[in-house]
Amino acid sequence: MSLNFYRRVAFGLSPNEKPDKDPLNWAINQLDTIPDLLWPGTIPTEKDLRKKYGEWVYGDREVLRKKFKNDKHAYRKAKDELRIKTGERYFELNEHAIRHFQTKYSKQPIFERFWLFWGNHFAISEKDFLAEFSTGPYQREIIRPNMVKTFEEMVLSVTTSWCMIHHLDNSESFGPNSKKGMEWGETINENHARELLELHTVSPNAGYTQEDVIQLAYIMTGWAHKWDRKNLETGDIWFDQEMHQKGDKVVLGVKYKNDAKRELAKVIHDLATHPICIKFVSTKLCRHFITDEPTDEMINPVIDAWNKSNGSLIEIHKAVITQAYKYNEITHKFHPPEIWLMQLSRMFDLNIPLSFEKMNYTFKIKPNNRQRQLSWILREIGHSPYRAKQPNGWSDLEVDWVSPELLLRRFWFASVELPMLVKSGNRSHSFILSCLKNNFEEHENMASLIDNFRFGTSDYDLGQKYGVICNLPGVLKI
Amino acid sequence: MNCTRRNFLIGGSTTLFLSGYFPKISFASMQKKNLIIISLRGGMDGLTAVPVIGDKRLKKLRKKLILEDVLNLNSDFGLHPKLEIFHKLWQKNQAGIVHATNIPYTGRSHFDGQNLMETGAHIPYKEKTGWLGRGLLASNIIGKGLAISLPMPLLLRGVPQNNNFFPSPDFVETKLIDQIYNEFKGEHNELIKSTLDTIRQRPLSMQIATDSDDRKKLALEAAKQLKDQSGPRVAVFDLDGFDTHAAQGGVDGAHADELEEVNKIVTILHENLGQAFDNTLILTLTEFGRTIKQNGGYGTEHGYGSAILMAGGLLKKSQVYTDWPGLKKKELFEGRDLNSTIDSRAVYNSAMSVCFNQDPEFLRKEVFWGDELPDLSQDLFKI
Repeated sequence: MSLNFYRRVAFGLSPNEKPDKDPLNWAINQLDTIPDLLWPGTIPTEKDLRKKYGEWVYGDREVLRKKFKNDKHAYRKAKDELRIKTGERYFELNEHAIRHFQTKYSKQPIFERFWLFWGNHFAISEKDFLAEFSTGPYQREIIRPNMVKTFEEMVLSVTTSWCMIHHLDNSESFGPNSKKGMEWGETINENHARELLELHTVSPNAGYTQEDVIQLAYIMTGWAHKWDRKNLETGDIWFDQEMHQKGDKVVLGVKYKNDAKRELAKVIHDLATHPICIKFVSTKLCRHFITDEPTDEMINPVIDAWNKSNGSLIEIHKAVITQAYKYNEITHKFHPPEIWLMQLSRMFDLNIPLSFEKMNYTFKIKPNNRQRQLSWILREIGHSPYRAKQPNGWSDLEVDWVSPELLLRRFWFASVELPMLVKSGNRSHSFILSCLKNNFEEHENMASLIDNFRFGTSDYDLGQKYGVICNLPGVLKI
Repeated sequence: MNCTRRNFLIGGSTTLFLSGYFPKISFASMQKKNLIIISLRGGMDGLTAVPVIGDKRLKKLRKKLILEDVLNLNSDFGLHPKLEIFHKLWQKNQAGIVHATNIPYTGRSHFDGQNLMETGAHIPYKEKTGWLGRGLLASNIIGKGLAISLPMPLLLRGVPQNNNFFPSPDFVETKLIDQIYNEFKGEHNELIKSTLDTIRQRPLSMQIATDSDDRKKLALEAAKQLKDQSGPRVAVFDLDGFDTHAAQGGVDGAHADELEEVNKIVTILHENLGQAFDNTLILTLTEFGRTIKQNGGYGTEHGYGSAILMAGGLLKKSQVYTDWPGLKKKELFEGRDLNSTIDSRAVYNSAMSVCFNQDPEFLRKEVFWGDELPDLSQDLFKI
């Protein structure tokens, strides 16, 4: 088995890891349990961060805007202070550190790759202040614990999470015949219902109609944050009977009797176990790990595992890895920028993320450049993970990641930024050669391409070497 | 007034096919013509950008979203106050609107819709190339596409060697590419290899490092490239954020902020293209319009018919070109959306025919599978 399997399904091998005698077994054994989060620094809870979110929006909208309505400059200054005080400019940086620390050091890197996959399948795109306060904890507290449960349980958790409900506006969806709907003349907002069908479960292949979307939106009415004057939209999620559309609903030909909050779990059961959903999600998994256009032969064993295990994600993940292993030598897969960065960080033991001591934040001054570095790099290489542009998340297709500028950004990172991330003990040429040998069959050819710089250890020399190595076809693509 | 259907249906042109195409050999056609597309992702609300004036039904359904201070275009339509440049150009016959138009897609999904607005097809995800890319290829215009975005938009795919401009913060030595270029072997490395070709052929001014957050700088460079007689002939800008389910607002809401971005780009292009603006067409593109009725969050839902904002010296005259469907309940699409009475692909096909000096019939077959798209060149553009 080629060494590239360790990059296909994980992040490559760090300098102190060695390839396993039985790579498939090594990989499959990583999926039964949830690895602990390793970040030694602060790992705030979703609830804590939502409170901060609340302080930020309340402070800005309800206090500062009124207080400084006639003084633009004073308003701006007060707002900047509030940003620092609530950590509005900090928490996303910390989340990126938690995430990249995990993919760099995890003893179960395969699990972490699936974590990235599901976080992107149930993507939270750039909206309001979610990337700052909410998307990171959502990935940790909603996505991660469900990865050893069933797909259906994952969908239900995601759908009733504060982050997704805020992201897709379900708090603004009122049953037109509900008490509040009638009183206030409000109606549904079908955004969340549509994405639940289209992106999270059955996909448009199921042939649902506009009426199905409306009916599902009716079922979902009432699942909203509990609003109050002080917390605004950052209250807990609850089921508000007074927003809920009364009466029976029909989605994809199935009737759901008027049953208040219990309707949602029923419809999610049917959607998450729908054969078209199973095929759609299995295809996405194979696309992520095997190749852009997976064939039925690649996908079918994943579907079988899904059906046999009633949607157990552990079994599904094992089937995907088995297929990735089987097709490793005859397929190619291009890796998007963030995974490429994570792999470089692990293989060459780069100095990212910053140490937890240095990531410490006092809520008194704005985050410094070193604290912002990782997030800035992610943005510049075109892949800031919690800021997908649309709710369908980041693409898994090579064509979406290859443009002159996107490739240039990789050359930029490897030749300009990366040398500054090389640890002082790792600047020798022999270190690079040993990392290459650890991860690439073709390491001799790779070494020959940087041989001209074998005596150089300056930032410039390292830039010339890493600029070449990191952008070779076998590194950009498995 | 209350606009009703076919009040101002224009000259029957939407049903008439032109019988022939006679390319004119003149100085004007020797000049390079630029086609600039600004993608407005999320579903641009045609009724916010170009509101119909005095429609009681619209006022009633959109109590919280009604605009004051609209810029008047004619007795029937106004313009959102943030779209100043279009108003200014309107006075000079260099701005226009196509209204109640959209791609023939009624599914109301962003992702399917955006896929279709770029591929020009009927089935989402079926086509892997964009109509603009295919139009360039069919017209044998290669290596003349420029995207102002980090990824290459689907819209431009289908023709090789497109460029994009969204520079990194530091200068990148392209000699690194020369060192590894020959390592890219085999079919599975073709896409990367051809992209590296494009990078190696870039003009010097595109190798600068800059702040790509600054749309002004990006638009400036685009104008500079487009002005160059041997530079790109097509540019694509990408804006998102038009999906205003909540707090859409009127003059200052979320939709207004997005329109302001469009205005900014067109202003810079106009100022910096100079004479080349006379040989330029700028058109917007979106996946769908939005519902007439405001929703629970004072936003609007995904709809159908929208509008195309147009600017440039290649416009025939200032006009709101439309076959207005009306806003009465029964005139709306599925009782909720502004209908689309003009397949927007007809506008884009005609625009390509003008800018690429190509027979619209030929393009229609090559690019849009021979779909029935009337030639609107004579109505909309200078030919």
